[in-house]
Amino acid sequence: MKKWISVLLASVLVVALFAGCSNSESANASNDKKGDSNKVEGKLTIWTFFGQVEDMAKEFEKKYPDAEVEVKIFPGDQYQTKLLNVLQTGRDVPDIFDLERAYIDKFINSKYAANLSDMGAEALLKDYVPYVQALGRDSKGDVRAVSDHSSPGGFWYIKENAKKYLGTDNPDEISAMVDSWDKIIELGKKVNKDSNGKVHLISHYGDVYNVEAYHEKPWVKDGKLTIANSWKKNYEIQKEIFNNDVDAKLEFFSAGWGNAINDGSVVLNAMPAWAGFMVDNKDNSANDKYGLAKTPKGFYMGGTYRSIYEKSENKELAYKFIEFITSEEWQQHNLETTGNMPGLLSVYEKNLETFKTPMFGEQNILKPYYESVKEIPGMKSDKYGEEVLSKWRKVAGQGIKDNADIDEVIKDFKKEVQNSFPELKVD
Amino acid sequence: MRTSSINKSKYGFYFVLPYFIAFLIFGLVPIIFSLYLSFTKWDGFSDPVFVGLDNYARLLKDTFFFKAIGNTLIIWILSIVPQLVLALALAMILNEKFIRGKHFFRAVFYFPNIVTPVTLGVLFSLMFDWQTGSVNKFLMGIGLIDDPVNWFNSPWLSRFIVAGVIMWQYFGFNMLVFIAGLQSISEELYEAARVDGASKWDIATKITLPLLRPVLLFTFITSVIGGLQLFDAPLMLGNGPDNSTLTMVMYLFQTAFQRFDYSYGAAIAYAIFIIILFFSLITMKFSKMNKVEQ
Repeated sequence: MKKWISVLLASVLVVALFAGCSNSESANASNDKKGDSNKVEGKLTIWTFFGQVEDMAKEFEKKYPDAEVEVKIFPGDQYQTKLLNVLQTGRDVPDIFDLERAYIDKFINSKYAANLSDMGAEALLKDYVPYVQALGRDSKGDVRAVSDHSSPGGFWYIKENAKKYLGTDNPDEISAMVDSWDKIIELGKKVNKDSNGKVHLISHYGDVYNVEAYHEKPWVKDGKLTIANSWKKNYEIQKEIFNNDVDAKLEFFSAGWGNAINDGSVVLNAMPAWAGFMVDNKDNSANDKYGLAKTPKGFYMGGTYRSIYEKSENKELAYKFIEFITSEEWQQHNLETTGNMPGLLSVYEKNLETFKTPMFGEQNILKPYYESVKEIPGMKSDKYGEEVLSKWRKVAGQGIKDNADIDEVIKDFKKEVQNSFPELKVD
Repeated sequence: MRTSSINKSKYGFYFVLPYFIAFLIFGLVPIIFSLYLSFTKWDGFSDPVFVGLDNYARLLKDTFFFKAIGNTLIIWILSIVPQLVLALALAMILNEKFIRGKHFFRAVFYFPNIVTPVTLGVLFSLMFDWQTGSVNKFLMGIGLIDDPVNWFNSPWLSRFIVAGVIMWQYFGFNMLVFIAGLQSISEELYEAARVDGASKWDIATKITLPLLRPVLLFTFITSVIGGLQLFDAPLMLGNGPDNSTLTMVMYLFQTAFQRFDYSYGAAIAYAIFIIILFFSLITMKFSKMNKVEQ
């Protein structure tokens, strides 16, 4: 009898241990009711790191009342590890998964992302911002991920501040004053002098990378690392910016960087369109406070893309969702409610003269962004692009601080790249 | 129906069985799987390809890994020495009979140990931010420096800061262990010493320290493994200039979970395992020697 009790107890413990590992697959699998083919119904699961997808799902459900969309949000940088794990095991995989621009290439060049070109996505992207649609293509050129937005950047400035240090708060005039790095350096020296070193023209020499990075040729060609001459030129520009205190030496998203946007210690902040949340707008104090000027070249930062899981049982419904987010209807709604810039050029064009946000007062901010996004060349993402760029940022950034020679920087850079990617040819 | 005493011990197995099953599934299988991975090439997206010892050959030529080993040891030594000295000094002071509020101070000194290392990392990185950090503001306020110090731009200062975080986190814990050790030393010895006219310093060096040696060794050994696995706090502070604060486990994390080079990451993990094993064996040998002496 005693023995029985102990065996029972032991097995209860074991069962309790594994209770946490039970599978909840039933929630996900085959909820796709096959009704008549025109009716959009079924249940869709989306994984994302981005909270606003919930609104997207709500709008989709509003349009297709018989469809249900479950959004699972995983904030933080562990999202891609989680996603990769679930894709590898093939269990409880979402029908649609979100990808950030920084790591999109690995996923869309894998067997997990469905070929959207085969499903008709080319037609959806006909009128798209060139760079936005190009980033979602795999190495063969097929579309495997799409985004519903573009994320152009520009120089944000506090109007009062600009009047004081640049003599004007007119966006066109300011854009013309800073349409090259040489002009920025000269102007920056002046601002520095006028303010006794208290105020700087730009926040960080890293703005040069942010603006130039996506105008460059890919780092890796035919398995070989190539360093374009323009990177060497950019390095010298950055050194000059750093050494002349043109920048406030506030790194992107560092503690002081966020303050600078609000307190005016930096005149021109290179910001992506989606960064409005960085502005302190308590009691609408930021209303009509800011202006937007163009950077020397158009640039973008980040972007959220969406792929369909190759083995999803709800592919048709998932594609309906993709269709929805690439539609004017959604992108117009998104622009109006969140201020996220559209991916469709037509949505830009329709709102060019009318779209206004309280922060930028009467300025038509879509105009400079529209000109920016059209300038950015459409380039496929590749496995190395972002990683190698971040290595360059790191090594060159250190070199600038140490006032190092470019040859030294290139030597260190090659070493880092070779170490991370031994398969690349580096000479 | 009487069972023999040997048979009775069988029941014990049922109770330890859950642990062993869990260990088998969540411990041993991943350990063996990662050993297999270290002989393959796998990025997590395609299927693993067997490549033999390639990853280990790459590791032997990997200057970044060797640098990470060096960094880890440097940071460990920089943190362990002041940590033990401070813990010991505080333990001896707080063990004095006539100190007021010693319970309060014991608790206060232990607090940093409760804070998670990630929080500490963020806290220190904000404090030592060269433009907005409070440390520079303070040093400039009291007139010690004229211009802000760019802490994280200097390899050695960065290492000192990382070591400082670790030290600050663990000195309280070690202090408690030392206090426990001190309290186990018999009061009679102190009384006898006092009767013989020994000074405070004599008592500390001739009675307290020698009798505390086993405890000292214990803290030393436990800190070896913890110190070599240094990860979360330095991760929050970044790689440092010229990768000066890149620790072994950080390098493993960045390789496997940021670059998704799982197979090479597994090889690094095994190399770290061997390094820690090596240091653990050394300390174990020390502790054995200690026992023999006693």
